[in-house]
Amino acid sequence: MIRRLLATLPPADRRRLRVGVALTVAAALAQGAAYACAVPFLRALLAGRPAAAWAPLGWLAGAAAVYAVAHVAATVQGRRTGYALARTLLHRMGNQVSGLPLGWFTPRRSGELAQLATRDIMTIMSAPGHLLGPVLTAFVTPAAVAAVLLVLDWRLGVAAGAAAPVIVASYRWTGAVVRRTERGAAAAAAESAARVVEFATVLPALRAAGRAEDGLASLEHALGAQRAAGRAMARQALPAVAGFAVAVQAGLTAVLVVAAVLGLGGRLDAGTALAALVLAARCTEPMLVAAQLGAAVRMAGNALDRVAALAATPTLPAPTRPQRIRGDDISFTDVRMTFGGTRALDGVSFTAPAGGRTALVGPSGAGKSTVAALIARFHDPDAGTVRVGGADLRQVPTPELMARLSLVFQDVYLFDGTLWDNIAVGRPDAGPDAVRAAAADARVDEIAGRLPRGYDTPVGPGGALLSGGERQRVSLARALLADTPIVILDEATAALDAENEAAVTAAVARFTAGRTVVVIAHRLETVRHADQILFLDAGRIVERGTHETLVAAGGRYARFCAQRAEAAGWQLRAVAGDPAAPVPG
Amino acid sequence: MGVTLWGVARPVRMRLLGALALQLVAAVAAVVPLVAAVELAAALLGAREGRHGAVAVAVAGAGLAVRVAAGAAASALAHRADGDLQWGLRRDLARHLGRLPLGWLTGQGAGRVKKAVIDDVGALHHAVAHASLDLVTAAAAPLVAGGYLVVTSPELAAALAVPIAVGLWLHRRATGLAAARMPQFQAATGRLNAATVEFVHGIAVVKAFGTTGQAPQAFRRAADDYAAFVRDWARQVTRPAAAAEAVLSAPVLLLVVFAAGTALLAAGRVDGVELMAFALLGPGLTAPLLALGYSREEIRAARAAALHLAELHARPPLAVSAPAPAPPPGPAPAVELRGVRFSYDGRHQALAGIDLRVAPGTLTALVGRSGSGKSTLAALVARFHDPDAGQVRIDGYDVRELTSTALYRRVGFVLQQTRLLRATVRDNIRLARPDADDAAVRAAARAAGIHDRVTALPAGYDTMLGQGVALSGGEAQRIGIARALLADPPILVLDEATAHIDPDAETAVQRAVGALVGGRTVLVVAHRLRTVVHADQIVVLADGRVAERGRHADLLAADGPYAALWRAQHPATPHVSGAAR
Repeated sequence: MIRRLLATLPPADRRRLRVGVALTVAAALAQGAAYACAVPFLRALLAGRPAAAWAPLGWLAGAAAVYAVAHVAATVQGRRTGYALARTLLHRMGNQVSGLPLGWFTPRRSGELAQLATRDIMTIMSAPGHLLGPVLTAFVTPAAVAAVLLVLDWRLGVAAGAAAPVIVASYRWTGAVVRRTERGAAAAAAESAARVVEFATVLPALRAAGRAEDGLASLEHALGAQRAAGRAMARQALPAVAGFAVAVQAGLTAVLVVAAVLGLGGRLDAGTALAALVLAARCTEPMLVAAQLGAAVRMAGNALDRVAALAATPTLPAPTRPQRIRGDDISFTDVRMTFGGTRALDGVSFTAPAGGRTALVGPSGAGKSTVAALIARFHDPDAGTVRVGGADLRQVPTPELMARLSLVFQDVYLFDGTLWDNIAVGRPDAGPDAVRAAAADARVDEIAGRLPRGYDTPVGPGGALLSGGERQRVSLARALLADTPIVILDEATAALDAENEAAVTAAVARFTAGRTVVVIAHRLETVRHADQILFLDAGRIVERGTHETLVAAGGRYARFCAQRAEAAGWQLRAVAGDPAAPVPG
Repeated sequence: MGVTLWGVARPVRMRLLGALALQLVAAVAAVVPLVAAVELAAALLGAREGRHGAVAVAVAGAGLAVRVAAGAAASALAHRADGDLQWGLRRDLARHLGRLPLGWLTGQGAGRVKKAVIDDVGALHHAVAHASLDLVTAAAAPLVAGGYLVVTSPELAAALAVPIAVGLWLHRRATGLAAARMPQFQAATGRLNAATVEFVHGIAVVKAFGTTGQAPQAFRRAADDYAAFVRDWARQVTRPAAAAEAVLSAPVLLLVVFAAGTALLAAGRVDGVELMAFALLGPGLTAPLLALGYSREEIRAARAAALHLAELHARPPLAVSAPAPAPPPGPAPAVELRGVRFSYDGRHQALAGIDLRVAPGTLTALVGRSGSGKSTLAALVARFHDPDAGQVRIDGYDVRELTSTALYRRVGFVLQQTRLLRATVRDNIRLARPDADDAAVRAAARAAGIHDRVTALPAGYDTMLGQGVALSGGEAQRIGIARALLADPPILVLDEATAHIDPDAETAVQRAVGALVGGRTVLVVAHRLRTVVHADQIVVLADGRVAERGRHADLLAADGPYAALWRAQHPATPHVSGAAR
């Protein structure tokens, strides 16, 4: 455990942990020494020489003082190491998670990750802080005492030592059982956590279905499984813990028996026999405490395993031979990509010229979003090459790519911070004037003006306190602030409310002029004026050209244009009829 | 244990009491071997016969056996009780959350909900399964052993009481410090939790702004705050607590026993056997208390968690006042709002007095600028919140008089985004009618235009969603529409149902919506005025009030707010598009 903790910690904290362990061992040895003083003390006292007892009493006082100082120092040190460990692990986890490909993130993993960041990290944190001290003491002190007994009288030493292998073996067995069953319990707990998150997210739908009051069946199922796993854990681990207690008590009994036989038989002086009783009694309780804490240490070990498993998940590899981006063009060469067994891109090649507008068009699932995600290097392609400014993205350090690229996505996601912070994330070093200007261009100033605390209003988790159109405007303001030569735009102006649409559309037009733009296009007007239209279907580019040539060709794109015109004219009617009938407007 | 914890543990109290009784037996039995050792010491010192020593050893063995057996039984019983308690609490909490106003819940975020249901309930574990037993031991064992020592030698006992009193006083001070800061600890944990969930979901933003390899600031700040908090805690609480532990430790107590014992022995006030009694039992007196010190923080955490849970439970659910109201006389409007006022924060009025009637089988459109209150109004009809004043009536009933089942049999809704469950496609569609047969599910999916997509999935209708298989926004929305079709409510609330989807899926979703609204009473939040020109009634909202109402043509002719909105969306000049250059 100590070794694994050491491996986890950065060097500065590693030193801290070593110092803590050294202090703990020093305290435990001082404690053993203090108990050992009982031997000369009781010998002198019970031999009727009380005056001779004062010297060992002085040693005892010294040992107790050393113990007290070392104990306080070790406890404080342990807690400090604990917090350093928590901080290190959280940062490392955060960085690791940032580097994972987006495909890794599923709702279930979100639940597991939340569990990891709180429960598991706290468990690990408590290891040096609360657990290591008592556990080390429980074993170091008895070992020291057994050594003293051995020196005093080999028979007593053997009686105490004979129990040692049994105690150690049963301790290990207990540990193994706890470790095994705890894993099952943790998996069940993570499933419950994921189901709770799901429940909280889908509650509107559940309520509409009248199912909220019964609770979500799957959540209740998960809770039941968690209870069962807890029961299994108790059923298997408790006998093991009891077994360890029996082993420890047997050790005490052995010393009692040997002391009784030898002492009563006159083969051992009363002082030594009595000292042996005191020593044995002193060692029993700490070991029993250790049995319960030892289980906790192993739980911490399991938690460390889960953190390590996360750390071992492969992230997007770093460049081996870094290349510089020279220019703002984007090119795909025979790119193939598979997600979860489904082929998302199946041999896509194109070039988006610098300063030009490339529109991606096609049905849902055609691969448009994958093309955008690959340009932003959310993933690496399975085969083929994605280049920006001539450089293979696999050889471009991520910050360099991101300095050239901004993304305006449809499913914008905001942090639970203020409106201002959510814009400023686009360029953290931007001055207040720049942020305000970007906000005004994207009509976020209108939102801020309406909110009680203006730009300082928190937007709620996931921007929940803003409407869809408002969230999108914030996303645009971010990109405006970032001011990069390349823009990847997922056009979804449908979410904008009517009176802001014209203004925002104009801002987008100004913003994208002269930049390299790849746009997942939905609006006919956007597509019509693109320099290049790529029509994707089932992961392939099936048509490419300009609006005029493609409409003239009368293929998929031409049909798409007709459909868009129909959608734009769509109207709701209360009475069943032709819902798509065009109306004069 | 505090009153609150004991209150929370109500469902398993009897079993817990049984466990405590067993632990009491174990605690007393634990003293027996030590007393037997004293008797053995007496035999060794010649104060008793040698045979007495053999009996003492046997009694010690028996005491050990009873202690282990009773202790294990107590622990088993307590763990089982704890498991049942947690299960019950989580289930009840989930059900309770299911009845709370959604506005409150969405403000909390999924991370905080998870903290309550999983972490806060989990925080009770140590208190129920471990600390309660430790407390019994901590109370019983020192009492029995201490009583034995006081009877043996009051003077030596008095000497031993000095360091114990000092240590306990120090300990009290340290725990007082800790208790004062516990709510902050809870808050720090809550913030970290929320930041983590945020962080995971916001990863796209993280990547988009080039912070890959560095956790975003909010998460880092939460992590740092948390670590800093624990560091302060260690400085302010741990040091005094550790000092108290040192004073109460066995080496210090042994020193006091031996020092006082030597003096009293020299003075002839105690004999060797009495001294041995103190040497054997004295230093261990405080061990259960120290073990408790470890539990203390857990108990405090549990108490704070119980408090949080109690608060959550105390939050009033959307109540049903009169379960069976008399049927209203005569024909009633399908939806009626009377003087409805509502505020999210208690200051700003989202709805400031709304009167509205929707006749059965008609379509009413709610339009207006963002923040005008149209989504809030729709949410009130679906009873996501209750109004602060006024009434929302469905078929003549105040929604507060309808049971949830009765209400949602009448009212269905499709919102901006359909949230899917991690369940099969089939179960997602038949959410409102779990007993619907396959034919009905397929028919609904066909009408919603999603059947073909579903059959193309790896396992068709049995495909588990959320595990590798993800649907696009437009597809999810059509599942939501299929859901509503299957539920078949006579009244339908639509809020930006086509707003958040891939616009190339828009036609498909529009068709599905068209299939859904046919023949129902519809209340629709509309952004594109063109889509609702045929509405029987268009209600223009501004600042939480009805600014104008009527039919499209009449409103245009009136040249009021609606006409202004219409002109903004349909400028006479050709549309300036994003592509125009």
